[in-house]
Amino acid sequence: MTLLDTPRKHGDASDGGAIGARLSRLDGKLKITGAATYALEQPVDGLAYAVLVPATIGAGRVARIDVAAAKAAPGVRLILTPDDDLGLQPATDWNNVRASDGPYVPLPRDIAYNGQPVALVVADSLEQATEAARRLAIAYEEGPVTPGLDSPNAGEGSPLDQLSVAWGDAEAALAAAPVRVEAEYHTPREYHAAMEPHGLIARWEGDRLTVWEPSQWTHSMARSYAEWFGLPPENVRLVSPFVGGGFGSKGFSYGFGAIAAAAARRLGRPVKLAVTRPQNFAAYGGRAATRQSLALGATEDGVLQAIVLRGASETSTVGTWVEQVGAATPLMYAVPNFSARQRLVAVNTVTPGALRAPGKTPSAFAIESAIDELACAVGADPLEIRLRNYAEEDPQARKPWSTRRMREALAEGAEAFGWARRSREPRSMRDGHQLIGWGLATGTFPVIRNYGEALVRILADGSAEVVTGATDIGQGTYTILAQTAAEALGIPFERIDVRLGDSALPGAPVAGGSKLAGVMTGAVQKAAIAARDELIALALNDPNSPFRDTGANTLILADGRISAPRGDGPVVSVGELLGRIGRERIEVRRDTLPDHLQTPEGRFRAWTTMTTVQGPTAGDYSMHSWCAHFVEVRVDEDFGTIRVARMVSAFDCGRLYNPKLAESQWKGGIIMGIGMALLEEGLVDSRNGRVINNNLGDYLLPTNADVPDIRVIDVGIPDPHASALGGKGVGEVGIVGVAPAIANAVFHATGRRVRRLPITLDALV
Amino acid sequence: MTTEITIELDINGRSETLTLDPRVTLLDALREHLGLTGTKKGCDQGQCGACTVHVDGARVLSCLTLAAQAAGRPVTTIEGLSAPGGELHPVQAAFLEHDAFQCGYCTPGQIMSAVACIREGHAGSDEEIREYMAGNLCRCGAYPHIVAAVRQAAEMAS
Ligand code: FES
Ligand code: FES
Repeated sequence: MTLLDTPRKHGDASDGGAIGARLSRLDGKLKITGAATYALEQPVDGLAYAVLVPATIGAGRVARIDVAAAKAAPGVRLILTPDDDLGLQPATDWNNVRASDGPYVPLPRDIAYNGQPVALVVADSLEQATEAARRLAIAYEEGPVTPGLDSPNAGEGSPLDQLSVAWGDAEAALAAAPVRVEAEYHTPREYHAAMEPHGLIARWEGDRLTVWEPSQWTHSMARSYAEWFGLPPENVRLVSPFVGGGFGSKGFSYGFGAIAAAAARRLGRPVKLAVTRPQNFAAYGGRAATRQSLALGATEDGVLQAIVLRGASETSTVGTWVEQVGAATPLMYAVPNFSARQRLVAVNTVTPGALRAPGKTPSAFAIESAIDELACAVGADPLEIRLRNYAEEDPQARKPWSTRRMREALAEGAEAFGWARRSREPRSMRDGHQLIGWGLATGTFPVIRNYGEALVRILADGSAEVVTGATDIGQGTYTILAQTAAEALGIPFERIDVRLGDSALPGAPVAGGSKLAGVMTGAVQKAAIAARDELIALALNDPNSPFRDTGANTLILADGRISAPRGDGPVVSVGELLGRIGRERIEVRRDTLPDHLQTPEGRFRAWTTMTTVQGPTAGDYSMHSWCAHFVEVRVDEDFGTIRVARMVSAFDCGRLYNPKLAESQWKGGIIMGIGMALLEEGLVDSRNGRVINNNLGDYLLPTNADVPDIRVIDVGIPDPHASALGGKGVGEVGIVGVAPAIANAVFHATGRRVRRLPITLDALV
Repeated sequence: MTTEITIELDINGRSETLTLDPRVTLLDALREHLGLTGTKKGCDQGQCGACTVHVDGARVLSCLTLAAQAAGRPVTTIEGLSAPGGELHPVQAAFLEHDAFQCGYCTPGQIMSAVACIREGHAGSDEEIREYMAGNLCRCGAYPHIVAAVRQAAEMAS
């Protein structure tokens, strides 16, 4: 070997390892042949079918339910209404807090929102249950309804002081700034609309409960069921091997799950509840509507002097969800004076929840639109103004960035897009009847860290298995954990199997917050290295090992074969070695928990709550993923129709474990951002708080025909602070900044600044 | 009182006799009665395409088709697409290669649509593919990769 061909490590696939390679999905073949069985497809004998009945008023009470006609319908086995005492206890929330005030009542008499469950009908078949549910005669007493955030009776809500952020004197600096841009930005209710609807199969065997339910967090959801039913945690198993998309909606157990499991217990028969598509718009919450008034003060050159944000978001009257509108605002630009406050307004809706990049997404819509408005106000290029205000460190935490390749993202994105050819003036680019607009915006998502646990088995045939309760919701957990094990073990990727999605398996955090990959690759690597070390120790020491007398003090494991480093001893396959030393398998279980969590209570808390999560500034650095989106829109001059014609987005997500899969996630986030910008809006009937467009024909999602060519560029470098293998989060950052990039492009095309999403043609004509 | 009906379905070349509530859709007959869960239920309202199968060789939304309507007509589902030896259909292979899915829930419907789209002669350009695949929603946003996969499979077929 000469110096020239000494391998150099780049931290990617060019190193020759499995990590960083553009491999196809491990679970791909199952998914393209229809063999991947999702939760509601598990074969369970003797199923009864349940149908949920939602309230049709926005607030008030169930006065009475006449069940006689429904009960008399063919095949009906059980009807649960608010008259039934289900005997449930409250479950612990993600902060590890368990309410102590009385029972948990998932079928209450009081109605807080339209679509709240009021009954469950169980019959021998789905058709029978559906028909019987129609025969329920429900009488309500209607109360006054507050349908939404901007309703006249919604009020100003209550302040969230814990979210207030301030440094310098923002109000004074704003008043004194020579240039000010001030505006109000609105984002509507949006929905996850994962293609797999929610639902579950619940089966009791004595006091043991098995729940097959799509899940982003098997351990925590199993805990909820155990606590509802007063069972020891080990009596509940939640199984979710494949998940048809979650986007934040499948991390938690919901009331419908408690009702269905209670029905199964009462009936003594397994129950399947498929939440219908329309019911998916109220059985759990989507992204809360938000409103932000945002003011920027700057010098005449567009150098920021002050940012003042006053925001509000909606929650329900029965629960608290904060869509944090200031989540991205303080991070994006260097600014000496800053103030952000937020209020929370309770309305008659199901409690909203986490939807891909919660907080960051509406937050970026306002700040990234406003900075574009500032660029216009001072006559600067939108790219240039971002460089003029470049944050060299975290302006809020005053910590250095671990890695922030935003300059590279802007430069490489601009180059690939051809940004330099953009003409500054709005309405200055056209193609016949089409006004062309080029827009830019940036995005961010924090690096969140936590702990995980994995089991690695090396088997007698020389293959290996990775086992953990973490889930794969489409982001690629199966694949990257196999890649991690392959590289650490020196066993080919094709010979690694991965088992996931079962609360009976080793512990893992929620597949949410873009952290699962970073956490679980760390845990699998640790377990795999320990398994490899154990195998090598056996090979060196076992009396029957062919390496026993070679005098080697270590061995090399590569390509499924073991050899001495000098290359002069025997070469045997892993399977052959295990056979010779009479071992069926080597099995190692490892976790990444710190010492203080190495107790039964600590482990349980780590796998079932958010209390062990470390935020992006918990250590010496401020750690985030970053991106820059460049968009071309074409707006029909006469009709105001808007098409996204092309997009280029550049990302810094640290090291990529599998670029092929990471690119898919980036594009998926971008496409959801196109929906947010142009299509998606939950429309609420102001009379009764009903989501009118509660189906996939009326709640518009991007279709194939709405999506142009999207080019994604990786500008990341391994970030050693962010995770064991150097990756930052990939799954959520892609959506952040897309809506403002499109809004900015629409402004460039038309001269109209639209500050209320989605941007529809009525805002342009 | 519901009267059950007995029908004969021809699914992936196999004859299946089912005694069913006449309200059972083709989708539920496949998923709940025949254990063929590869065909997905995304909406049950004809709005998402996840339930796409072929009836008489044409793409059909099985959630909007009663099982009885399919009696005696050849039905192909995702499970019947690959060759008996297990070799992938070219569209399946292209989906795998291009990572044309993430969660995989819309995927059987996308693939059944794509096979028909190519057969219909509607895969002549990216624009045409986008248009003729627009009835199959994918919330994971695999569209650009779906277009690439369909294009490749169409080129191989021609
Ligand atoms: S399930 Fe048939 S179109 Fe959605
Ligand atoms: S792959 Fe998830 S919906 Fe298409």
